[in-house]
Amino acid sequence: MTRTLLGRSGPWLAALAAAALALPFVSSPFAIDIFIRILLFAFVGVAWNLMGGYAKQLSLGHAAYFGLGAYTSTILMIDYDVSPWIGMLAGGGVAMLASLPIGALCFRLRGPYFAIATIATAQVLMLLFLKFRDFAWGAEGTTIPNLGSAPLMMQFEGKAPYYYIALALLALGLVITHRIERSWVGYYLVAVGEDEDAAEAIGVDALKIKRNIYMLSAFLTALAGTFYVQYIYFIDPNTAFSFNVSVEAALVSIVGGIGTLWGPVVGTILLEASSALLQSWLGGGHGGVQLTVYSLILIAVILYRPTGLIGLFADAYARIVRTGPGAAKEVPLDG
Amino acid sequence: MVEALVIRGLGKRFGGLRAVQDLNFSVDERETVALIGPNGAGKTTSFHLITGHLRPDAGSVTAFGRELVGLRPHDICAHGLARTFQVARPFGKMTVLANVMTGAFLRDRRIEAARDKAHAVIDFVGLGAKAQTPARDLTTIDQRRLELARALATEPRLLLLDEVMAGLNPAEIDQAVALVGKLSERGLTIVIVEHVMRAIMAVARHIVVLDHGQKIAEGSPPEVTANPEVVRAYLGTGYAPAVRGAPC
Repeated sequence: MTRTLLGRSGPWLAALAAAALALPFVSSPFAIDIFIRILLFAFVGVAWNLMGGYAKQLSLGHAAYFGLGAYTSTILMIDYDVSPWIGMLAGGGVAMLASLPIGALCFRLRGPYFAIATIATAQVLMLLFLKFRDFAWGAEGTTIPNLGSAPLMMQFEGKAPYYYIALALLALGLVITHRIERSWVGYYLVAVGEDEDAAEAIGVDALKIKRNIYMLSAFLTALAGTFYVQYIYFIDPNTAFSFNVSVEAALVSIVGGIGTLWGPVVGTILLEASSALLQSWLGGGHGGVQLTVYSLILIAVILYRPTGLIGLFADAYARIVRTGPGAAKEVPLDG
Repeated sequence: MVEALVIRGLGKRFGGLRAVQDLNFSVDERETVALIGPNGAGKTTSFHLITGHLRPDAGSVTAFGRELVGLRPHDICAHGLARTFQVARPFGKMTVLANVMTGAFLRDRRIEAARDKAHAVIDFVGLGAKAQTPARDLTTIDQRRLELARALATEPRLLLLDEVMAGLNPAEIDQAVALVGKLSERGLTIVIVEHVMRAIMAVARHIVVLDHGQKIAEGSPPEVTANPEVVRAYLGTGYAPAVRGAPC
């Protein structure tokens, strides 16, 4: 459905982009902070979704690449005075390289075993950065030197520039996903996700395509890691390799609609917005209440809409424009 | 005649079970060969060994002059061998068209070209009206058709069909037989595993009979059906008179 939506929704897309671009001018700094988080985690979700959604390789270890991206650019910046803009790409490169041995190990396993193995890889990396102090500040972490307004070093006075960087990252992720979805690669990924043996039987090199999409997914996730630590001016292993990052990357896609272009975006908006709202309504005084409500929302979505919320929007859209059976044309991933 | 497929000394064990042992047979180009035998005789295992889904313990498989043992299934498919599975395995959430396009991408990565070819193959197997149906909504028979279409879209030279006719009614069997005949006329080499004897008699000129992982007979349909060993192991004593009565 996503492709029909996109194909007919040029004006909608333009309106959405305009709204996204105008948002910083009408928001409070507190709201912008929430929007930046939404954009960033939507981007991580989009990166995760390429592998976890289309090829159904459910990774719960994307924090490994988020952390590698964060540490690579920070080490390059503090120890070698390299701009985080370059460090960001270097971090992506490190993540791609790291994904090769990790993939070689984990892709031997399927289903839940794969997910568990990926959790382990992220945890191992976190422990390495905790223990080896000479290498990267150990458990205390470090603050990133504040250079004031230094766009070349990815540091800005207000929050708006960070917002636009996160928006650009998300746009990049969506464009890449869209192009993959429309090409043979998208068909091959879904085929591997559906039935690896059957895909091999019709000429799909399953190992190679999984390895390649994992590299791309790791690269994009690492970009988000660099951006995040530059935004919060702090890095330590628990932040950079946080299990929450791994879970959130998977969760926003699952809630929004796994293996769909806009699923991670819809999922992040819902989860982050409800989390922020619940925290401001219920946060003070009632310890844990907002977490309970948040969990109930999650349970409800997974019980009643296991294919994700994007299906709701797609169904509603289909009802409004009353598309015939031919409307599904050119939709490889119709589910 | 060029030999499309040569199998020499093929063997596979699962623990103590010898699923296939010392299997030898060959298939000439453009020939249709049937592999028959009781359940558990090693027919499907043989297919898995030929197409790389299982690795043999012993022996060799040569197709169009190239050794296949050690290659991965996708390499073997690229070399021109396509198969169907005993239980159809369509990509459920894709449409029929998308399933077949995925097969077509092996030879041409362009969307438009793959779509055109997929439509042609879907029409050929008789699924034209259901091109936009999600594969999981198809009946079992249509899922088999889809799997055949997906295999054909990879432009094979040798097609391995694993019980494509199981569960079909007599009229559908006739359709399927006609379809296999058309494929053969187009120059495809076909190896078919089947239990429906009527269909085998109609399509195969050569039959290989397996029992307990070993070849017990080989020959033309009349030779095989007259073989007492085959009657004992597979056909049953009731079958021989019926064959004599049937025009085949």
